[in-house]
Amino acid sequence: MKMLRTTVPVLALAALAAAGCFLVSGQFVVNYALPSPLHVTTGATLTGVDVDLNTISEYDDHKADLKRVDDLALVGNFRNNAGAAAQVECWIVPGATLNLTPVQLSTQGVKLWGPINVAAGATEKVDWNRSATLFVGRQTLIDEIKGDGHFSLYVTANGAFDLDITNGAVIAVIGAGK
Amino acid sequence: MKKLFFIAVAILALGASTARAAGVGVGVFGGMSIPVLQDDQDKGSLMGLRVPVKLVPLLTIEPFYAKSGLGDKTIDVAGLSLTREGSDVTSYGANIMLTLGGPVSFYPFAGIGSAKFERAAQDESFTSYHLGLGMGFGVVPKLSIDLRGELQAAVDGDVSRKMLNVTLGASYSLFSMP
Repeated sequence: MKMLRTTVPVLALAALAAAGCFLVSGQFVVNYALPSPLHVTTGATLTGVDVDLNTISEYDDHKADLKRVDDLALVGNFRNNAGAAAQVECWIVPGATLNLTPVQLSTQGVKLWGPINVAAGATEKVDWNRSATLFVGRQTLIDEIKGDGHFSLYVTANGAFDLDITNGAVIAVIGAGK
Repeated sequence: MKKLFFIAVAILALGASTARAAGVGVGVFGGMSIPVLQDDQDKGSLMGLRVPVKLVPLLTIEPFYAKSGLGDKTIDVAGLSLTREGSDVTSYGANIMLTLGGPVSFYPFAGIGSAKFERAAQDESFTSYHLGLGMGFGVVPKLSIDLRGELQAAVDGDVSRKMLNVTLGASYSLFSMP
């Protein structure tokens, strides 16, 4: 009976021990705003965005204790200025290289997100939930967030394209604990 | 012979004590689930079922099933407000409670189970630890009302998602051994 009466406190202590650092762990939102508007067009070289998460305090403060990436989003308003519909995609380059040619982008980069169809002259809004369904290269971004946190992003489309991205952002929910 | 007699008496006494204490009930509860150190979701409602099984005096084992809908969280990104949908959390497991008798009782409890988090692009299960304190009121014979506060930690490695759950419930004793 005495042993049974100790079960609750023992189980409570076991729960605390098993949960480990649960009192000092949490989920933090890291968001990196893209230049707005971001204008990208077809050309010999493409316009990339240098993303250095180390400049974001929520990331820098918890980078050493980062244990997992809980959620990702790439949001924004994507306007197609061209006269034909565009299949818009976003690519990530782990080496953070800018001004890549389309061929270099396809070899050095990984398709991160998309495509979304944007009609000629139209704007497509991508919010958090819609973004979640568009990721195809999630693991590459997770690896970068867990790694040096520095990479480049390219927004491209098929054919001759002319796009404006406004209110764009890369968002990650990270789990960190000591 | 005398030794055997005392052993037999002791076994009977223990058995009688256990029988007197035994009982099974059924209960429902509802309340709030408040995320702790989670920047990506807000508080939401919680409801569930539980089956208190009193095996011996002072100790009750209580299997439970609960569902909560954590609230959406609005996050400001570069002056733009974005909403992230909260997770639906399904938890099940068992608590062990140190229960005292009387019309008003306080009881600590601890438990273990599983918690499944679901939202767009998320479908993950974690081991869930529970630690809390309850206060029970015997309203009429067989019916009791209880108010509980518990810390739930859904653990993944070194990090956990934590919720403070505050619930009000009612339990009905289906049968108990006299």
